[in-house]
Amino acid sequence: MSEFLNMGGYAAYVWPSYGLTLGVIVLNIVWARRLLAKSREDARRRLAMRGEQQV
Amino acid sequence: MAWTWFHRLGSPPYIYGLAARLTPWFAWSAAVLIIGGLYGGLVLAPPDYQQGDDFRIIYVHAPSAWMSLMVYSTMAISAGVGLIWRIKIAHAVAAGCAPIGASFTFAALVTGSLWGERMWGTYWEWDPRLTSELILLFLYLGYMGLRSAMDDTQRADRASAVLAVVGIVNVPIIHYSVLWWNSLHQAPSVMQLAKPTMPPSMLIPLLMMLFGFTVLFAALLLVRLRAEILNRERAASWIREAVTQ
Amino acid sequence: MNTSVIEASSTGTSALEAARLVLARDIRLALRKRGQLVQPLAFFAIVTTLFPLGISPELSRLRDVAPGVLWVAALLSSLLALEFLFRDDAQDGTLEQHVLSGQSLTWLLFAKTVAHWLLTGLPLAVMAPLAGLSLGVPAAALSGIVASVAIGSVALSLIGSIGAALTLGVKRSGALLSLLTLPLSMPVLIFGARATELAIKGAGFAPPLYLLGALAVLGITLAPLAAAAAVRISLE
Repeated sequence: MSEFLNMGGYAAYVWPSYGLTLGVIVLNIVWARRLLAKSREDARRRLAMRGEQQV
Repeated sequence: MAWTWFHRLGSPPYIYGLAARLTPWFAWSAAVLIIGGLYGGLVLAPPDYQQGDDFRIIYVHAPSAWMSLMVYSTMAISAGVGLIWRIKIAHAVAAGCAPIGASFTFAALVTGSLWGERMWGTYWEWDPRLTSELILLFLYLGYMGLRSAMDDTQRADRASAVLAVVGIVNVPIIHYSVLWWNSLHQAPSVMQLAKPTMPPSMLIPLLMMLFGFTVLFAALLLVRLRAEILNRERAASWIREAVTQ
Repeated sequence: MNTSVIEASSTGTSALEAARLVLARDIRLALRKRGQLVQPLAFFAIVTTLFPLGISPELSRLRDVAPGVLWVAALLSSLLALEFLFRDDAQDGTLEQHVLSGQSLTWLLFAKTVAHWLLTGLPLAVMAPLAGLSLGVPAAALSGIVASVAIGSVALSLIGSIGAALTLGVKRSGALLSLLTLPLSMPVLIFGARATELAIKGAGFAPPLYLLGALAVLGITLAPLAAAAAVRISLE
């Protein structure tokens, strides 16, 4: 296991690379989902306001 | 018959629904491919006889670099389609591409830099491929900056589309730079499918990662596209049902 | 002021003739505001002065960084000068007249960019050897500097016209204009600095010069098209 983590001595280069890339993937997922949630929330609010105006 | 399919593609509620249905398929496929590729690349593949375990960076660097180019091409093509044929959904697609492409370009540059430090002895070198990849990052940022500088959506769409189309020249430059100039960066080894220079144990995880990232892009784009459609279709009646589920 | 172009379109003048009129007009107007023309050149002079102050007054050391210094300063100076390309015409409605005139907007914008280059890029090519001398560049290298800056600034003006057209309606567009223009201008910087470096060493600098020429030609053919599309979008 420690051999695996050591990556043949290149650990300082391999693991940050993987960490950064996986971080970018996670960031993209979170960012996209948050954007959609916000858009849905905005749309709901707009509909609610318009609903109130019609009343 | 074929034309009904085409016309439906221009209809926002149809696209919205389709995107919502397709996203889970793409997302889970991407997860399987990427996790499988990671396992194959980190555990199963043998160390390289020259670079040892350092070469394993390829499993995150190559897919990121592939993403940076593929996403920009998608962005430029949809921007061009939107510009020429005035198809609004195409502009929405282009807008969704930019943040994804920019972040993976950044990842490609940094992972490449870390890999290069051991391989070439330096974190950075102003050779054609690295320089033009950096320019690609600036193009993404410029695209996003131009969009945000304009309040009017239509003008933002069309102005940024011009920029995206102008910048497409950079993509072939990045791709062919290793062939055209004496570059530090190695020549393509994956693309020669007739005689790949990589053994299958190394190649298969790489292909899984490349494919997995591509499918992930599709999933991310579909989510962003839905957000864009909602923002643009302000007054449409179909939205009520779509967002109150 | 802009009646000549309107007359030109109504009497069925060719695109080339209209372009020539625009070129002449732009130069005439710019020469009335000579102070404005001097600003980018003064900026170039000041920036090249900053480097010896910041790095070292030793000419031998300056000579090593001279290619980069000259070209970065030239790039920044041309960026500054881009403000003048469309601003006045956009403000007084002349640009709109150009769009509505029925003449080829591509040719008219090409004429404007040529005028802009004659007024800013060419003087830069004249000033660059002087700045080079102050940085310890040998006299034999000066012709190379003039040639590379003259050709490179053509490409810079054309590339810059695209960004200037895209940011027409944007307030305080300086930073955005730089972000749009500088990435596309990097090849010019790279080849221009390379040509200057080779000239200083006394080697043949023809290859990068040819590449600069290729970039200029590419700019001439494609940039006015993109700029015309961008102007139309910005004025919609």
